[in-house]
Amino acid sequence: MGVAVIVGTAKGAAVLKSGDRKTWDMSFELRGWPVTASARDDGGRTYVAVNSPNFGVALFASDDFASWKQLESAPRYRPEDRGNPEHHRLVAKMDFEGKLKGGGRFVDQIWTLHPAHGALYAGVSEAGLFLSRDRGESWQPVDGFNEQPGRENWAPGFGGLGLHTILTDAKNPDRMWVGISAAGFFRTDDAGTTWTRKDESVHGFGGNCVHHVANDPENASVLYRQEHFGVYRSNDGGDTWQVWEDGLPVAEMSTGHRCSFGFPLVHDRKSGASFVVPLDGDAFRFPRGGQLAVYRSTDGKTWHPLTDGLPANCFAGVLRGSMAGDQMDPGGLYFGTTAGAIYASDDLGESWREIASGLPRIMSVEAYAT
Amino acid sequence: MTVHVQLPPLLRGAMDGERWLEAEGATICEALRDVAQQHASLALHLFDEQGQVRHNIVCLHGGAVVRARDMHMHRVQQGDELVLTNALAGG
Repeated sequence: MGVAVIVGTAKGAAVLKSGDRKTWDMSFELRGWPVTASARDDGGRTYVAVNSPNFGVALFASDDFASWKQLESAPRYRPEDRGNPEHHRLVAKMDFEGKLKGGGRFVDQIWTLHPAHGALYAGVSEAGLFLSRDRGESWQPVDGFNEQPGRENWAPGFGGLGLHTILTDAKNPDRMWVGISAAGFFRTDDAGTTWTRKDESVHGFGGNCVHHVANDPENASVLYRQEHFGVYRSNDGGDTWQVWEDGLPVAEMSTGHRCSFGFPLVHDRKSGASFVVPLDGDAFRFPRGGQLAVYRSTDGKTWHPLTDGLPANCFAGVLRGSMAGDQMDPGGLYFGTTAGAIYASDDLGESWREIASGLPRIMSVEAYAT
Repeated sequence: MTVHVQLPPLLRGAMDGERWLEAEGATICEALRDVAQQHASLALHLFDEQGQVRHNIVCLHGGAVVRARDMHMHRVQQGDELVLTNALAGG
């Protein structure tokens, strides 16, 4: 069995393929497009989300990782939908004419794509959730989420209001979670009609800047969370959270709070291991001392550093969507840096190899067993 | 009025590499709406959720640089060439 890794960069998608997870072939697709997310459905179709500050958001699909066809539809808000003023203030840096200040709501980026229960979900910025039941040919807004009261007061993260995390429960299609920077983490138990914040006891600063959350859909209520302010775990679907930082490097944050800072969190389903890439606090956002390190927890309690094969002079970051597991046995892990390097491990993180470098800024990484 | 619209390089991928399209319209905006009607995948790129030409798109027409906000009143003639591009940004 082989693996394909889709690396979304600021100028296209690197597609890395391997039959043995040791030697890799790379092609560079969708040249010129910022590639922000990808997903593969049960039918073997791969979807890639692109965005451009000039030409908007679109989706491309491929059945062979080589030929890509743009879909004729993409998530879009309705003309009458009103936007969040703070999000506009942040994203309007490319709006030469001040149009966003007019109050409309726009999809300016697809942050995540998530296939589940025969549908394809998209999480977007300005924060919202969309659903396709026909493999991306048409999209509907999930109004129960997108139109909930209070969204006009959500506080954006530095990159705007992005819905970047979608999690589902394989045994309960009515239950779902989404995470937004920096509005928090939400759960529905009625198929998206109503939503409840699930941030109790998670350290915040105004809102909750959730960076990434992972789960195993077969054991969905155990949640693994990298927050702006620390790493947490929940055993009850997010009703309660426990700090989960034993063994992780802790930094003083800009607010004075001390915790472990980072963006991605990946969970390997077969082994039960979780992985994070700590950075030296929110003021610096690169590995402490320049030593790039992945930390692994195999018991759900303590973390241990893994550095074999990773550089000692790395002052780049790893973004929230830029790490993935292939869910094979043993699990393969892949992550990319903002400096355009991709690292891979075929032994659950024990050792790493650089499998590509010189790429543009890496914004998303997904891995698929083929 | 039939005009010839040149797509920017990034959008040619949505049209199997096609560089030029034909469109009907009396203004630049009308011609772009015709392009969008003919090609749904280009509609996503040319018009935003409010139905307006995306604000960073500009059109080179007869030596003039026409911004998105002015395209609805900028008239075209039979056989004109409209070169679509994006506003210059960056250093």
